[in-house]
This record gives sequence, structure tokens and C-alpha cells, in this order.
Amino acid sequence: MSGTYSPSALPAPIARLWESLRERSRSKRALLLMAPLLVFELLLFVAPFLILLRISLTEGSQDLRYAPGTWSISGYGEVFSTDVLVNAITYSIMLGLLATAITVVIATFYAYAIWRSEGVVKSALLFSVVLPLLTTLVIKTYAFMPLLSPNGTLNDVLLSLNLISEPIQFVPGTVGVVVGQVYIVLPYAVLAIYSVLATMDWGIVEAARDLGASRPRSVLEVVVPQAMPGIIVATVISFAWSVGAYAAPGLLGDGQNKAQAFALVVEKRLLSNLQWEVATAYAVVMLLLMLVSIVLLTAALNYFGGEFEYA
Amino acid sequence: MHRERLENALFRTGYLAILTFMLLPLAVVVVTSFAESGNLAFPPENYSLVHYRAFFEEMRWLSAFDNSLLVGVGTTITATTLGVTAAFGHEIDDGRAGQVLAPLVLIPLLIPPIILGISMRVYFVRAGFEASYLSIILAHTLWATPLVYFVMRSVFSRFDWQLLDAAKDLGAGPIRSFVYAVLPNVKHGIFVGALLAFIISLQEFVMALFLSSRSTETIPVVAWTEIRQSLDPMVSVVSTFLIIISLIAIVIATIATNLDWLSKQLS
Repeated sequence: MSGTYSPSALPAPIARLWESLRERSRSKRALLLMAPLLVFELLLFVAPFLILLRISLTEGSQDLRYAPGTWSISGYGEVFSTDVLVNAITYSIMLGLLATAITVVIATFYAYAIWRSEGVVKSALLFSVVLPLLTTLVIKTYAFMPLLSPNGTLNDVLLSLNLISEPIQFVPGTVGVVVGQVYIVLPYAVLAIYSVLATMDWGIVEAARDLGASRPRSVLEVVVPQAMPGIIVATVISFAWSVGAYAAPGLLGDGQNKAQAFALVVEKRLLSNLQWEVATAYAVVMLLLMLVSIVLLTAALNYFGGEFEYA
Repeated sequence: MHRERLENALFRTGYLAILTFMLLPLAVVVVTSFAESGNLAFPPENYSLVHYRAFFEEMRWLSAFDNSLLVGVGTTITATTLGVTAAFGHEIDDGRAGQVLAPLVLIPLLIPPIILGISMRVYFVRAGFEASYLSIILAHTLWATPLVYFVMRSVFSRFDWQLLDAAKDLGAGPIRSFVYAVLPNVKHGIFVGALLAFIISLQEFVMALFLSSRSTETIPVVAWTEIRQSLDPMVSVVSTFLIIISLIAIVIATIATNLDWLSKQLS
């Protein structure tokens, strides 16, 4: 394979890419080992996205899902002409921010607790994170239905304690969606922060306490800034997944949640209306929106994290 | 000292509350699977195995189990092969290709599965093999490979590469030296990576929902469509099986490595 390989069998742009990669790599064998995964990512990830983008730029068609070979921005025109988009963006960003804020606060606390604990407690806490992480989204959302529905467990408890006089409808409703979404992303957020904390030296916190910092203050001013890389990762993951949430609003939401969640809007366009140029345009807009907000969020956290360190 | 004790108590209450929040929903699912009535209520009034018996008579669930197993094994094989070879290549040469590869492999995890599902559905329809096992396996591989890849990079980075050089100096070819010098030291890592790939595939449902048909639907897909129609303790039965499988996987992975290391790999 080493000397006889001829790039001329490949299409020109790919051959060029291969050549430039080969020249910059020190070892050809290493490149050959990485090649299968590179090719897989190009074929299964990059190519589908380019096609998605291409279809979003075609004309609509009466009898097909879209009209191949045509160029048009009518898909985007329809996306921007109705207030469905504005509602979806508002709803998804609100859900994203709310779920992310709750998740990151709880996750930071829990990651700190795992880091500080030892032995069986530490294993139990880690286990409580890893098991939900390896459980399907369907179960994670479904489990909240018997707990939070109007005749569910939580309402029974609240009623019997006379805290409320009639059942509250958490599910279906926005409260249920937020709780479900937090539950879905929390394990990932906890582990992202924990893996950073695990590399940290407890001595710094002790030093702060010896110098007279109270315990909550030593955590806020010493631990949190140090854990900032993990907190940023946790925030980005929580936000990205909450903006694109599908299972929680789909199962725990009421009609309003379902009509406004971005993922459900896109799904409806794709499956029932058979207008692919509109559905793909929605998907492209959603992706752009997410990328922009992640960049802004990361920049804000970096800025904030930087300020925090010197405060 | 009084203040310190109060803080300790608050701290402990805090993390025990979160511990409960993390495990209670899963406990609810397991407990409701033993309910006698057909209504989903927690805690159930009476317990029985009636829904377990019904499960083993329902063709749709049983074939979904087969589908999940097939897709899971397929994903495990492709993701492990791709992830291990690429991580090995990246380890022996951290050149330009590696710099491109690492973020490229990671990005799919950050994109909402609904968008991946849509783009792949459109893609596979054009390629002419929508609704086949292969399309679901490839989609799941996209999600499982990053885990295998990063687990293996962490494993390879702790490996003493002088052993490989020694094997080569002693005259072993590239394949022989890999099998005899590297493999015995990293087999636990490969095993855990493969196990995670299988679990990821078993539990994933949004992409599977977009890519499967009635004959290739996996367990989470069937569960999802069932729940949307009516609440049935049967879903709890199936969920209990899925939770038990994950539980076993965690126990095995913990024995092969340790829970702390495993947790860090998952982030």
C-alpha cells in the first residue's frame, strides 16, 4: 500500500486534500490508520449537511418533496414570513437559558460534592450520574409522567399535606418540560465539571480557608474560577441540547410547548407537510441560531470567568 | 463550630436531594413495571408480574428487541474499529490529520440529534437505503465513535510506547508488534469503549425514530410511539430491561477499569 498508492483514482479535490494531508503528516501509516474515520465523518456527517443545505435552497414542488436541481430561497422566505419562527426561537432560547441555568448550578454543587466525598459515598454519587446518563431519553422523560401529572405522586403528597387545595398540572406543561430537560442534561454537566475538579489541588481551597475565607466564599471564589473550563463545557452542552430539545417538550409539554419547540416544529414540517425545502431551511436556521448563541455564551463566560479570577 | 455543623448538614441534605432526584425517576419506572393494574400510577396499589407475561407474548416488542440487538452489535463493531484505529494513528503521529479529526469527531455530539436525524434521513433517501438497518447503524456509529475514540486516546496516552519500539527492534512486524505488545495492555480500554458504544446505540432514539421503519424499529422507538398513544405499564417493563442492561454494563466496566475513570471518559 505504501509506495504504489495513486491518488489519481480519486476525484480531484479529494486527491488534493489527501496530498496536502499526506505532506503535512510525519508518518504515512498514522494517516492510513486515521483515514477510515476521516472518510466516515466526511461521508456520514459533512456530506449529509451539505445536502441538507442544498435542499433548503431548492424550489418547492407540487408532487415531490422538493424540486431537485432548482435554486430558490423560497424555503427561507416561508420560514421568515410567519411568526412560527419567532415563537420557536423565543421558546427554545427561553427553555435553553432556563434549563441551562438550573442545570449548571445544580451540577456545580453536585460535582463539588462528588469531588469532596470518598469511598462508598463517592461511588454512590458517581453511580447516580452514570446510570441516568446511560439510560434512553424516552425513559428519562416518561418517568416524570406518573410523578408530575395532575393525579400523580407529587400532587398526592402535596394534597395530603394540605399544601395545595387542588392538583397542579405540572405535566403536561412548561414546569414538566423544564424538569425533564434538566434531568436529561444534568449527568453530562456534572461529569464535565467533575473531570476538571478532579485535577484540582484541594490545598488551594484550604489555604483560602486558613486565610479566613468562609466555606461558601472559598468555594465561590476559589473552586468556581478553577472549575470554569468544566463549567463552560457544561453550559454549552446543556444549552445546545436544551435548545434542540425533542423528547421533553414532545412528551411532557402541553399543546403550546409542542407548537413552539424548535425540534418539534422542524419535525412537523418534515413528516406531515412533505415540504422538504421548508423543513431543511428550518433546520439550517436552527443550527445557525445554536452556533451563534454557543459562541456568544462561551465568549460571555470566558469574559465573566476572567473577571472572576481577579476579583 | 455551630455554624460549621449547620453548613455540613445543609451540604449533605443538598447532595442527598440531588441523589434522590437522579435515581427516583428510574426507580419509579422499575416499580411501576410490577403494577397489577393497567393504569400508570406510583406507587402502584397491587403488584404482579402480569405485564412481564404480556411482554413476552407481544411480537412487536420482541422483534424490536432483536432489531436493537442487531443495530447495537453492528454499531459496536463499526464504532470500535473506527475509533481504535483512528486513536492509534493519532497517537503515533499528532500531525495535521489528527488536528482535523479530533473536533470533527466531536461536533456531531453537540448537534441536536433531531438535526442529525433529518439530515441523514434526507441523505439516505437520496442514496436509496432509507429505513434499513445499515442507516441506523451508521447514524449510531456517528455518535458512538467519539466515545470509543476519546476513551482510546486516554488509554493509549498512558501506554508505554517504548514497548512497541522494543517489539519492533526484536524483529516483529507492525501487526505482530501491535497484537503482542500493545493489545494486551489496552484490551480493557477497548472492551469498555465497545461496551459504551453498544449502550449508546441501545438507548439512542431520536435518530432511530427518523431512520427506522416498522420492520427495523428499535426498542426506544417503539416505547416512544407507545407512550404517545397511551400510558401503559408495558413501557415500564421494557424500560426496566433497558435500565438493567445499562446497570450490568456499568458494573462490568467498573470491574474492568474503575468508576471514577469511566465517569471522566463520559464527559
